[in-house]
Amino acid sequence: MKCIIEGNGIKVFGKAVHALSRISEEIWLDPLEEGLAVRTVNSSQSAYACFFFTPLFFQQYIPDPDTQKDCEAVKCKLNTKCVLPLFRCVSWRERSVDRCEITIKNPDSRVIFQFHCRHGITKTHNLGYQECEALQAVFPAHLCPNVLKSHSKLLGDIVVHFPISQEEVTLSISSLKVALKTFYEEENSCIKGMNTELMLHPDEFDYFQVGEDSAVTFCLKELRGLLSFAESYGLPVSCHFGVAGQPVSFTVKDMMLEAHVVLSTLTDPDHESPSQSAPGDDCSVTISKTSTVEISTSEGPMEAEVCIADGERVASSQGSEVFHPALHMRKMIQLHAPGEILPRPSLAPESALTTPITPATFKIRSLLFGAVLSDGVDGNTADLPSLVCGSDTEEDGGSEEGHR
Amino acid sequence: MKFRAKIIDVGCLNHFTRVVNTVSKLTKACVLRLTCDHLYFVLSGKVATGGVSMWCELSQVNFFDEFQLEGVSADANEIFLEVAPENLSRALKTAQNAKSVKIKLTKKNCPCLTLAAELPSLSSVSRVVTHDIPVDVIPRRLWHDFREPQMPDFDVSIYLPPLKTMKSVVDRMKNLSNYLVIEANLNGEMNLKIETDLVSVTTHFKELGNPPWGDDGSPSASASHRDTELMAQTRVDIRKLQQFLTGQQVNPSRAMCNIVHKRILHLIFLHEDVSLQYFIPAVM
Repeated sequence: MKCIIEGNGIKVFGKAVHALSRISEEIWLDPLEEGLAVRTVNSSQSAYACFFFTPLFFQQYIPDPDTQKDCEAVKCKLNTKCVLPLFRCVSWRERSVDRCEITIKNPDSRVIFQFHCRHGITKTHNLGYQECEALQAVFPAHLCPNVLKSHSKLLGDIVVHFPISQEEVTLSISSLKVALKTFYEEENSCIKGMNTELMLHPDEFDYFQVGEDSAVTFCLKELRGLLSFAESYGLPVSCHFGVAGQPVSFTVKDMMLEAHVVLSTLTDPDHESPSQSAPGDDCSVTISKTSTVEISTSEGPMEAEVCIADGERVASSQGSEVFHPALHMRKMIQLHAPGEILPRPSLAPESALTTPITPATFKIRSLLFGAVLSDGVDGNTADLPSLVCGSDTEEDGGSEEGHR
Repeated sequence: MKFRAKIIDVGCLNHFTRVVNTVSKLTKACVLRLTCDHLYFVLSGKVATGGVSMWCELSQVNFFDEFQLEGVSADANEIFLEVAPENLSRALKTAQNAKSVKIKLTKKNCPCLTLAAELPSLSSVSRVVTHDIPVDVIPRRLWHDFREPQMPDFDVSIYLPPLKTMKSVVDRMKNLSNYLVIEANLNGEMNLKIETDLVSVTTHFKELGNPPWGDDGSPSASASHRDTELMAQTRVDIRKLQQFLTGQQVNPSRAMCNIVHKRILHLIFLHEDVSLQYFIPAVM
């Protein structure tokens, strides 16, 4: 893959990487026909983010100059800590950098960031990457009963009342009001710190749809990156969610890029929904400590099943035992294993970075962009969110829906 | 026990916020004493705080549009709460453009000061942000710990030099030594001194003026016989002095200090509706 970003785009790209860095230490670069997807997922798989840049964003975008087949296009994983400093020093950058070329060199396993600056100066950074298969979350946004859309400033004004250190918040919606409040696990939460609640009238939103009164609890910290990105560029933000336990997604869209953050939410401990019992649910409870990801689709006989232990501590929650991020996230993040016994990578935060997930053991089926996407697959997987607008391939047909 | 108060005026809100910010810079926890006429932020000198104590008094009528208090009992119509001023500061921070701010004592899982701000919104219905700040109610038998400090029997009382100047001098001295000697006389002269093995630095201030403490039996009665050139001094932990000077967000109309020779440095900042006293004990 080779692409060239010009001028202001460099700043935007940098801000996108910064927003992704709020979620995890690794980013996946996925060059697709339709554009460049930069994704990340946190170590506990409770937060996923994707910035998708269409070819319009780039001065030049060549996904794969060498081969035709999608599956040959290299997907790679980089350490965010290495990429972030390249895009810092914004004011200097604005003055001196003309363009940035990003090239993925397959044989060398390197991603090259080359900054062409004024006065003939070129800065070249060679970053080693880890090859992997693409990471993708499938989120049926159009199935969500509750939708909120507003200008980024409104969301910024809402979250400003909550301390930066606040991890979890509860967003509740009814036809009369929308409220956001701090969430603490213990009953005696008062003793720990301040409780803050903000209530607004539905009229304040540009678009308000409440299909089902609900309250969802998610990690605000991981969302702040996207919110500040949206505020920098004055972009509207849409929020799709359902009832407690179902993931919540925040989307920012523009002609040239599309950004999503999908966060898992706490299940309501009183109402475990029966629909959650999927094959393999049983095994998820009994497996302790080691965490594994469940495959929820029934396609393919060679799937190995791996489940995320429900008792696992989640990095983003405040040490809560009852946090079940995986119950719904795993339905979204489709990970396929080609039949091998997996080495059971532990997804505990401290080991996520040191335990490489080798490409041979995981193969993530890219549902959206795979050339083969039969309608015979069960309903869940056929309903895909559109991570691309206006794709001009034949897949458009039934499986993709553009956001309005 | 009941307490409800409301601020409507933006200027009062900003002023109150600045006072709370100042207090929050001085201590992590303090006592909020509420009476019908005043609010006090009190820190009583304990070993844990390095012996410093603070007394900040606000006249409620200058800030609040509504103020209702029902104390612990009829003969003790006051409420003492232990609170973290930083929480209060944080709650007020994002409410600066509020149409109104209500503060009341509530009981959620534990006693709280609930701050509810009505914010401007894009619709006809205001946004409401509510902050529950956990507090501890202090029982009556402990109230004596938080009495108004007596004016010490000082040797010299003097107006301070311009705060900005004093602060920058103290900031620089802090890099050289942990202890600073502050001395002053009744002739309007003040010296700030540090002394280490390698260096000693003294900054001299002149013509500062001495507050005319009156005939109300205050110590100046005896001080008038004092030699005007004679310096009274105390040696204090420079970080405490710096912390006090740095935290100031309200520009006082009068800033002065009283020195009890080798015992206490008593700083007094006066503003129309707020007074702040800070006591720093001497170190040997």
